Amino acid sequence: MKSHILLLAAAILAGPAFAQDAPKGDAAKGEKLFMADGCWQCHGVGGNGAALTGPKLSQTALPFEAFLHQLRRPAAEMAPYEAAIVPDSAAADIYAFLKSRPASPDLKDLPLLQGMGVK
Amino acid sequence: MEKPRLDRRGFLKGAAVAGGATIAVEAPALAQTTPAQPKAPGPSAAQMAAETEHPGEGEHLTTEKTGSDFMVDVCKTLNIDFMAACPGSTFRGFQESFINYGKNTKPEWLTCMHEEVSVGMAHGYAKVAGKPMAAMVHGTVGTQHAAMAIYNAWCDRVPIIMFTASAGPVEDRRPGIEWFHSVQDGAATVRDFTKWDDYPWSLQSFAESTVRAYQLATAQPQAPVLITADGKLQEMELSKAANAQLSIPKLNHPTQASADPDALKDLAKMLVAAENPVIFADRYARSQKGMDDLVKLAEALQAPVIDQQNRMNMPTTHYLCQSSRGGPLLAQSDFVLSLEPQDIYGTLNKMTDQLERKTGSKIKKTTKVASIGTHDLMVKANYQDFQRYNATDLQITADPEASMPWLIEAVLREVGDRKSAFDARGEKMRAAYKNFANNARKAGALQWDSSPIGGARLFAELWEVVKNEDWAFVTPNAYSGNWQHKLWPMEKHYQYIGSSGGSGVGYEPVGALGAALAHKQAGGRLPIAVIGDGNFNMAPHTMWTAAHHSIPYLAIIQNNRAYHQEVMHIQRMANRHNRGVESGVIGTTMTDPNIDYARLAEGYGAVGIGPITDPKDLNAAFKKGVAAVKAGQPVLIDVVMQPRG
Repeated sequence: MKSHILLLAAAILAGPAFAQDAPKGDAAKGEKLFMADGCWQCHGVGGNGAALTGPKLSQTALPFEAFLHQLRRPAAEMAPYEAAIVPDSAAADIYAFLKSRPASPDLKDLPLLQGMGVK
Repeated sequence: MEKPRLDRRGFLKGAAVAGGATIAVEAPALAQTTPAQPKAPGPSAAQMAAETEHPGEGEHLTTEKTGSDFMVDVCKTLNIDFMAACPGSTFRGFQESFINYGKNTKPEWLTCMHEEVSVGMAHGYAKVAGKPMAAMVHGTVGTQHAAMAIYNAWCDRVPIIMFTASAGPVEDRRPGIEWFHSVQDGAATVRDFTKWDDYPWSLQSFAESTVRAYQLATAQPQAPVLITADGKLQEMELSKAANAQLSIPKLNHPTQASADPDALKDLAKMLVAAENPVIFADRYARSQKGMDDLVKLAEALQAPVIDQQNRMNMPTTHYLCQSSRGGPLLAQSDFVLSLEPQDIYGTLNKMTDQLERKTGSKIKKTTKVASIGTHDLMVKANYQDFQRYNATDLQITADPEASMPWLIEAVLREVGDRKSAFDARGEKMRAAYKNFANNARKAGALQWDSSPIGGARLFAELWEVVKNEDWAFVTPNAYSGNWQHKLWPMEKHYQYIGSSGGSGVGYEPVGALGAALAHKQAGGRLPIAVIGDGNFNMAPHTMWTAAHHSIPYLAIIQNNRAYHQEVMHIQRMANRHNRGVESGVIGTTMTDPNIDYARLAEGYGAVGIGPITDPKDLNAAFKKGVAAVKAGQPVLIDVVMQPRG
């Protein structure tokens, strides 16, 4: 997962100059598109990531343009999504959905998980 | 009370009557909905004659001892505990001899419902028991069914003693089915992925070939072997005089091939001189001693070990177990040692899966590479499991586990004034190691409350229930996230047995069944299988074999309702072709209707629990399941999970 995140960061640096404001998307539409466009297949239902296949996307810290760039010209192994498949407006809806996702629990609130592994 | 006698003639007569009665009852109902069914063909003249003509008074009809009894004598010298089989008439003599003459002990006959199960469970068994069990498969159709499981075991370098059969010479074959199940060369179907085979034409030859097959199967590199037991040989009368002429050769237990001492000395010098060595362990350890020796080598060098998780090679609790850091360690390495590698090229290089496939090296051009392995001792031409050729600076053809004590000794002789540098390297490894579990815990928190359930939550809840048990994983668990390797203390060789070998889907339930049998034999361990739903559906009846033979284990279905690897492949193709992924579920998903795995397990006589969709319900389900396993039952828990853990 770490390598995915690093590659995303690299994609941001290598991409075009990014504006600060994301287009206003529809989170409800975005949730449907997240499933219909297969984002969940690698990033998990809800977008919280999967160790084997894709990093966490929910509450993404990427600016929209970087998110869009990763969609169109993905780093690493991700399958590319051209505008013919996911138009910019649909990408904005998915982005809005991901931004709207609740935060994952804090590790300090998970004693079961905290108790696992070598300290 | 005298039991009714059901001989062959009586059985056929009864079947004909019962069949007729069934048709008579069902015919009116069928007539309302379906066209009239054609009548079943009657027996042929030859069949009628066979069933009605009495043999002559002088004709010999029974005997006390047959060739198949001697075949059982041969197998009993090999200390084989189990023989797994789905019944088939070509080995009827052999089977009857095992269960009656051989008293169904050593080997004990196990009933499987598909030849893929017979062979696949032998695959899993050998990796835990450290010795092969046997599988018997029907002539022609049985070897065809068994082929994928044999291929998996071949790729995984695991020994299995297999038997098939043929109906004998043409003049002795009954017309019809015995011809379909007869074959000139029974092993041809699977010869590309077996180590050795033979079709012995005499009982003496059977004895020598079967003992030879066992010896070859268990010599490194290990692999399945196949003996064809001729039908006539099985069923021929064996007189006392003829029996006295036969002899069963003693099984040789050869030592495994150790490395050339000069080559080990060269390797030790290279390892000691390296600033950033990395040790890759692939199918290296066959035993706890193998694991312990690898720890000794790593400590002598303070060198990191990447366990490629095709065997249990390195304790996850040791600070030199750096499997989470393979990429960065390779990038900075100046020396790589690979132990029993199956694919050095794939370890050292990467290739993208985009429209243009680009390759790149993971190591510097100056990095030296060495290997110890038996890969090149068993390469065949057709199937491409030998992987891409990769040049090395020192290739030692030998068994790395047998060679390891000598390598450690050679390294210790060379260390000299490098010890302080090694200690400094060790400190860096300790510091890096501390981050692994913390990173895994943070990653695990991300999907903690997810429904479908995430892999980290499943493995954490499972740990809470089994942490005081003598547990062992009997499946690879890669698709559920490998959380056991990230967060569980895995220190014993039997706690993990690696993967299928050839990635033939269906290995997980069958390998798990055999491994669970070996754990039962070892006494009281708790086998845990995390089985993908696609894998499970290849052999759900493994639950019946487990229930029938009282093989307890905890089977957790990682139910993502799809052949998810294929879902992602179709998505990749659809994206690449700019067609969208909405139709990608066609032919790759298992919904509408959802499969009720718990009911399926119950139908086969196992305990079924689930489906579990809320992670909060996992604890109670696991407690119930573990209690049932400890009571001796096979248990299936259906957990509806994220597509990937």
